[in-house]
Amino acid sequence: MNYDILVVGGGIAGMESALTLGDMGYSVLLVEKEPTIGGKMILLSKVFPTLDCASCIATPKMASTFHHSQVTTMTYSEVDDIRKTPKGTFQVSINKKATYVDFDKCTGCQRCEFACTVAIPDQYNFDLVGRRSAHIAFDQAVPKKAVIERYGSSPCSFACPVSMQPHGYVSLIRSGLFDEAMEHILKFVPIPGSLGRTCSAPCENECARGELEGSLPIRQLKRFASDHYYEKYPKPKYGPPEEILDKKVAVVGSGPAGLTAAYFLAKDGYKVTIFEAEDKPGGMLTLTIPSYRLPEEVVERDIENVTALGVEIKTGHRIESLTELKKGFDAVFVACGAMQDTKMKIDGEDLAGVVGAVDFLKGVNRGDKIDLTGKTVVVVGGGNVAIDSARVARRLGASKVYIQYRRSRAEMPAFDVEIEDAIDENIEMQYLRTPVRFTGKDGKLAKVESISMKLGDPDESGRRRPVPVEDSESSIVVDLCIVAIGQRPDIASFADNDKSKLTRWNTLVVDSTTLETNIPGVFAGGDVVSGAATVVEAAHAGAHAAEYMKRYLRGEQFPGEPLQQLLPVVDRNEVLKRQSEYRTLNLGKRKELPPRERVSDFSEVELPFTDDEARYEAGRCLDCGGCSECGQCIVACQADAIDFTMRDEIKELEVGSVVIATGFELFNPSRKIQYGYDNIPNVITAMQMDRLLAPTRPYNTVLRPSDGKLPDNIAYVLCAGSRDCQVGNELCSRVCCMYSIKQAQLIMGTLPLADITIYYIDIRAFGKEFEEFYQQAKQMGVSFVKGKVARIEEGDNGNLIVQHENIAGDGKSERTEHDLVVLSVGMLPNQDALGLLSGGEIEADSYHYVKEVDEDHSPARTSLEGVYVAGTASAAMDIPDTILHSGAAAALAAAHVERVKK
Amino acid sequence: MNDKVRDPREIMRDEMLMRDKVLAILNDGPKTVPEIAEVMDYPVSEVMYWVMAARKYGYIEEIKEPTEDDYFQYKLVKNE
Repeated sequence: MNYDILVVGGGIAGMESALTLGDMGYSVLLVEKEPTIGGKMILLSKVFPTLDCASCIATPKMASTFHHSQVTTMTYSEVDDIRKTPKGTFQVSINKKATYVDFDKCTGCQRCEFACTVAIPDQYNFDLVGRRSAHIAFDQAVPKKAVIERYGSSPCSFACPVSMQPHGYVSLIRSGLFDEAMEHILKFVPIPGSLGRTCSAPCENECARGELEGSLPIRQLKRFASDHYYEKYPKPKYGPPEEILDKKVAVVGSGPAGLTAAYFLAKDGYKVTIFEAEDKPGGMLTLTIPSYRLPEEVVERDIENVTALGVEIKTGHRIESLTELKKGFDAVFVACGAMQDTKMKIDGEDLAGVVGAVDFLKGVNRGDKIDLTGKTVVVVGGGNVAIDSARVARRLGASKVYIQYRRSRAEMPAFDVEIEDAIDENIEMQYLRTPVRFTGKDGKLAKVESISMKLGDPDESGRRRPVPVEDSESSIVVDLCIVAIGQRPDIASFADNDKSKLTRWNTLVVDSTTLETNIPGVFAGGDVVSGAATVVEAAHAGAHAAEYMKRYLRGEQFPGEPLQQLLPVVDRNEVLKRQSEYRTLNLGKRKELPPRERVSDFSEVELPFTDDEARYEAGRCLDCGGCSECGQCIVACQADAIDFTMRDEIKELEVGSVVIATGFELFNPSRKIQYGYDNIPNVITAMQMDRLLAPTRPYNTVLRPSDGKLPDNIAYVLCAGSRDCQVGNELCSRVCCMYSIKQAQLIMGTLPLADITIYYIDIRAFGKEFEEFYQQAKQMGVSFVKGKVARIEEGDNGNLIVQHENIAGDGKSERTEHDLVVLSVGMLPNQDALGLLSGGEIEADSYHYVKEVDEDHSPARTSLEGVYVAGTASAAMDIPDTILHSGAAAALAAAHVERVKK
Repeated sequence: MNDKVRDPREIMRDEMLMRDKVLAILNDGPKTVPEIAEVMDYPVSEVMYWVMAARKYGYIEEIKEPTEDDYFQYKLVKNE
């Protein structure tokens, strides 16, 4: 056996059982699902009837339990399953949840909590105030260690090809931490300015807010962060790393993939040289993407993020042989893109006036003088390059621009926003149409002859295959036709000179894990491997290759362990269920230059967010994953204790006996709609009042949640959710009368001028000194009104009208005004306890508490020998009774262990 | 803003957005929660969450004695 006894639950019952058993010499494992032991008792102000400080009693008990030599405490852990063995012991599965904080290093300083950018309701203050995703439950927590609450990967972060954790920079922007947002992005890519303008933003498709008024504009937020940062820091804040390694890497191509690989390699000290065939670096970013979408100076600043690390870029340097190149370097990364236009292979394609889109766009970006004033242009294709070509033609003066695409709008691979912008710029879309030949005169294009198409069955890409419609040919008289039906890599020399393996699409063959080619030490990624894809996918390839290249260069086992996976994605529907309802917000309209104005030159079309707009948009984030992974906790932690690589662990153990001490649930007052708990801020629960009275209170004193006013006329409504068949809880909770009287006495100490009224059915003061406690409250001036409260309404100034019977008076219904109402909510069984054992061997009583099969003669014994119940898991009871009951459970568990050992 | 009580989770999420606004208002001098809410033009009950969170995390503190109408004023914590 690993432990003699397992105690499930670290509240007062669990602690008491564990301490008793530990003192008897048994080895005990105490498992608590919260990050701290102490249960609900540690959250109370004082205990009745002695008015001793709850913290003063519970805290030493928590410390004794945690430090007891015979007790092992496992917090933030849940018992998944308990199975009884034939020999009478128990096999236990425990999920030790990842805290993302190394407890051995954490000093409990709370710096992570203060730095955290995600606010969520503080359950330890019963939602009266917020806490952070990174948090320590409360000051007296044992262990006093931080945990970071993560529910999984946020859908946006999970969808991002470079795992850029958009949730992180969104939460930083929301908090006004703009520099930090950019520095977060720079952890994942060196080209945020370019991605902020050209990213396909798969994150936005997954945004849970899309189920409400619309997704967050995550791409534009990234652009906002980079614009803000680049304006503030025209040059990178960093230089080359202090330690430069004696290893050299060559990168072929300076597009998104090459730049990203170089960036991560150089950061680690590798000497990187990029060879770029063109005259300026940037690949597609500078060569083909028009400046109205991506200004050249933005790309240049992005590239400086790479060169600042000491990376050298040699432009005008075309690489013809990888094996030759490899001789001078320890590793090579090939990322020369797909810059060769695909031909249509139809008649007339060689005529002057028929050009490839890449050649056309390169010429424009290079500064070639191209004047299309008054000309008619046809663009063929449906991708972003086609749209770019059409819009560029428009800016060069073309009076009429058509786009012919052989499928329908639904199949068009171009970004929706680009298509819309093109239409706004008076570009005519001709869907389901494609050229069949070009005709001309004197070697010059004159007409594009096209045919209509219809959609047939899906092809291998999943899109419906276009099929020509007979007798549907027509022609357009044109001056220029730009063919934008695809691009392919220009790497014939690699095949010829290096025997590089190529696919039938003329792309390089690589190992799908390491991205290494058939030449050892030569890796490849981006469009040269995938074919024409998106900027962010190319950047991902660069980052991915860099990881494996580092392993290769370090001489480690290759490929070695897989790269760590993200946490599973959080279900968007589960996210939306966290709130009872949502307020939908106004969607910010995309800001851009008016169509007429923008076609006159190459000014950037999309306009940036202001600070306020960016924070507003970021403020719509639903924090799907809990923690946003913004990394501020890592920066703040001086102990280096934050560890996001942690993962949940399943522990399989054998124990001799089990004590169930899983406590109780509080009645949810939302179920009593007539009491207005969900809609009236000044209706609170007694547990919330206990927090307001406790030393670690959420406010500076007892205040009204509606406006922060000191209340002076407080009402208590007893039996709220207990002794109430309407809500299915006919039991008396045994503690509500006395805790309400306790609070009344405490309030009179805190707010001496306050009037307190307790509405009750009958006062149950059955315990030792309870009656005296009750009488003392009366003498202090607490008013007791015998009568059930029927309804609570909100009046003026947040005051409340309590409609109630007055049975001791004339029996009539009365309406009395108060400025704060406390619902003395009842206790309910925690039914989680019943599911702990496989096969459901633990029986429940008729109220769904754990059944004590021989309550009179052998309390704490359950329906399964070896499993015992302690405290309120078996019935509503107060703290002294819980402690007694826990002792009984401990004694029975010890006896069972002795039997098993024999 | 309408007067409907929002889900606390939604209000608290806004804390990160609203904290700077609260602090900017208190930069002009101490104020009660209703006074801050009036400047922000947000429901007082929502502003209460943001003010108490700012207090919890040490940005602001209360002036010891309440006003005559039983409200506390809050002021910025001066960092030494």
